[in-house]
Order: sequence, then structure tokens, then C-alpha cells
Amino acid sequence: MSVVVVGAGLAGLTAARDLLARDIEVTVLEARDRVGGRTYGLEVAPGVWADAGAAYLGHRHTELTALLAELDLKTTPTAMAGDSRFELGGDVGTRAGRFPPLSAVALGELFDALTDLCAKVRVDAPWLTPDAADLDRRTAAGWAAEHLRHPDARRFFPLFLGEMMAADPAAVSVLHMAFYLRSGGGLRYLNAFAGGAQEDRIDGGAHQVCERLAARLDVRLGEPVRAIHQDGDGVIVVSASGQVRAGTVVVAVPPALAGAIDFRPGLPTPRARTATAPGCAVKVHLIYPRPLWREYGLSGWTVNATGPLLSTVDDSPPDGGAGVLTGFVTGSEAHRFAALPAAERRERVLAQAARLFPELPAPAQVHVTDWIGEEYSRGCYAALFGPGDWGLLGPGLIAPHGRVHWAGTETSTEFFGLMEGAIRSGHRAATAIAETQEEQ
Amino acid sequence: MNADALADLFRRVLENPDVSADSDFFVSGGDSLLATRVLSGIARDCGVELGFDDFLSAPTPGALAEKIASRA
Repeated sequence: MSVVVVGAGLAGLTAARDLLARDIEVTVLEARDRVGGRTYGLEVAPGVWADAGAAYLGHRHTELTALLAELDLKTTPTAMAGDSRFELGGDVGTRAGRFPPLSAVALGELFDALTDLCAKVRVDAPWLTPDAADLDRRTAAGWAAEHLRHPDARRFFPLFLGEMMAADPAAVSVLHMAFYLRSGGGLRYLNAFAGGAQEDRIDGGAHQVCERLAARLDVRLGEPVRAIHQDGDGVIVVSASGQVRAGTVVVAVPPALAGAIDFRPGLPTPRARTATAPGCAVKVHLIYPRPLWREYGLSGWTVNATGPLLSTVDDSPPDGGAGVLTGFVTGSEAHRFAALPAAERRERVLAQAARLFPELPAPAQVHVTDWIGEEYSRGCYAALFGPGDWGLLGPGLIAPHGRVHWAGTETSTEFFGLMEGAIRSGHRAATAIAETQEEQ
Repeated sequence: MNADALADLFRRVLENPDVSADSDFFVSGGDSLLATRVLSGIARDCGVELGFDDFLSAPTPGALAEKIASRA
């Protein structure tokens, strides 16, 4: 029997690719007029692409690495040589390397406490962690107020969580924070560029992965799915232009969007709740004629307590044909920034760029990508599980609902929130469907 | 805090048993994030608060022990 996949992001297209490889007929329905989901390419100069969505990978991202080889895509290392700039209360300062001008002992106490938390969590089933109910009930902000004494640790914690998981500490449970950090490979791996999760980018842009996958598949754009009804014979999937009958469905969209679909019979557990927050990331790209900061011995890396850009990183193409500085606006700052009119966003970004890099001319272009406001993503990097979410949503997150299977980075307990998690979830869903069909 | 105790601390933070008194932390798999955990461990053990740059200039258990002795 044929399969319908809902969502043409990495998870859905990976599932579709795997099913097709097993000679199973598959159709992909995508709400947007493009494929890629939370990967999106921005052409900032002729032939120069910036990643407006997911961008980085490391050597532990083995499924993504294998897919890149299959699709004949190359990676390029993320540049990080030179001095960094910091605006952490007071004037902008320059320092060698990436280490911020904060008490190292205070940061060590923060990372000790987070390491202890991560060690406790059962990453394959967070709701079964000892003390899960308690960790699920409290917010990361409450945890920080209780455990962090030094002002430098309290100042750095929201910046760290913003960078790691695009979360406002008030919006996520302690359990979700610990799970996310552990799922991504632990604090050190998730934080690191060289040897870590930000080691490389995809040369020419991460959006090419989905474009190349889609080129081999039956993908129908502009087809938001409204309803999924199961009966004795199969499934009817209702989308914008009509309905499709299938034997099995893979729903590969973020939890809040999956939860908005009309399922019959209804779902035994919800996909998302009101406590489930969108990943709070706005990505800003500052475009220069070339990576001008390097000429001043700067890496382009900055960390800032004063927004809107809480950190910046050099994402220039390897040939230096343009200077691309990516700014991350995350957590509560992302909500404030996203609410501003476009002209004011631009003005604040330019003012900050002038403070951080007074030796550089103003960027030739400023691009703002607001993922919170994206109707068909509802946030980025990934859904943020708030207090109570893991206890209620966790047990039903992965188990199929009859003929409906789940994919998407939020349904992978390995590398949750990352491209790698999306791909692994797609493989998992396709394998489960193929095994069911073989049994029949 | 002596070089043996510091080597133990290195092993724990690096999760790597292969550390001696002259092992360079940053060559043995350490980075800035893990370095802060060594520095918090030192502060907890003997009350000496070193900075990140202190560690960079004395990256082995032996050199770090001398630095701590000069501050204590």
C-alpha cells in the first residue's frame, strides 16, 4: 500500500527516500511553496548562499554525513581563528580566543551543575528519569535561581541556553534542558565548534539536502494537510486541493502543527500543549563585500548581553567571495525583537554592528529571518518542552497512532532539535512502515 | 592542591584515564568549557580562584600545582 508523507523537511524527505528505496509508492505533501522546512537558503550575492535556518554539523552526525555523501554535497569548516569581541555589561572588549571576560570559576560551577543534571536524565525516555516529575515541573529559570550564586554564572546562563537550544530559561522545564543537552552529545560537544556540533557547514547551503532529495520524489507543494482520517481500509489525507488515500501516513511536521491536524480517530495523547513553546530563534545575516573583520585579526565571534544579536559567527563562504556574519537572536530577546517593525529591527542591528565593529563599514545588506512567526514551522531550532510536557507528551511522542507514524526532529531522542535528529527520525519511521508491510 | 590531585581532577573532567603530571589539558581533549570545570574544582578544593588565562599558561597538572602554590 502507498504512503503519504506530510512535510517536506529533512525528516519527511528522508522517510520518503527510504520508502522509495524499498519500492514503496510514496507521495509527499508540503504546505509551503518550497521544500526544506527549517533549512532555508538565502542567496546573499550571486551564487553565495547563507543558511537562514539549520546550518551546522559535526562528526557525530553520522546519518547527515552519509546523506551528504549520497547527494554529492561537501562540507566546509566553520572559521573561528582570531580575537573575539564581548559586550557583557559595560564597553565592548576584545579578547584572544572564544573565552568570555567572566569568572572562569563561576562558569565552571554552572557547567558542573549542568553536567550533573545531564548525567541523571534517561535520554531515551526522559519521563522515566528518576525524579522526572520534579525535574519536569520546574523551569530552567527556577533551577538557575536556586543553583547559581555567582552573578557571572547568572548572566551567562541565559546566553548559553539561547545558543544551545534557542530557549528562554523560563519557557523550558529542567527535564527538557537536561534532555536536550544530553541528546545533542553533552555540553562540551554541543558547545564546541572544532571537534563539536558546529565544526562544519554544508558548502553552498543546507537547503540543498532537501532540494536534492525532493528531485527524486513525488512532492506536491502548497498542500497544507488539514485532516487525517483512518478507517478499516486505510487513511484519507485531506489537504488544500483535495484528498489522497493511502495505506500509511508519516506526519513529519513540528508538534504544534501536527497537533492542529484533525485526526480521526482522535489521538490518545496530544502532540503539543499550551506550555509547549516555539524555539525562539531569529537569525540575522550581515553581508559585507568580504570577511573584513579578518583583516583586523578578528574571528567575527561575539557574545553580547545587550541585544539584539546575542552572538555572531563568521559564516562566510570558503572562497571569501562575500563576508557573511550570522547573528543569533534567541530566547526572550527573540520575542522582543520579532515584535518590532522591520525598520526598527534593522536600525538596532546596524547600531549594534557599529558598536561591535567600529572599524568596519556598515554591512551592505541586513537579512532578518524570524522563525517564530513562520506559520509552517512555529519556531526554530525545535519545539521547547515546557513544564509538564515530557510527562504528558513523552510517552506518545514516537509510538504510531494506528496507520499514522511520526517523524521530525522532535520525535528523535538522539540529536533532538538538530538536522541529525530529523534524519534519524525519518529512517526510524520508514523502517517501521517497511517492517509492518513485510508482515502483511 | 598537588600535581597528583590535579591529574585526578583532569581525568575526571576529561573522562580520560590517560593523564600524567605533564599532560597538557588542551592536547588531551580539553577545551575552554571543560577548563572552567577544572578551575571550579580547584576553587572548591583549596579556595584558589584562577582565571582562564592562568590555565592556558600552565596547562599541565605539574605547572598548575606550582601556580596554585604561588597563590595560596
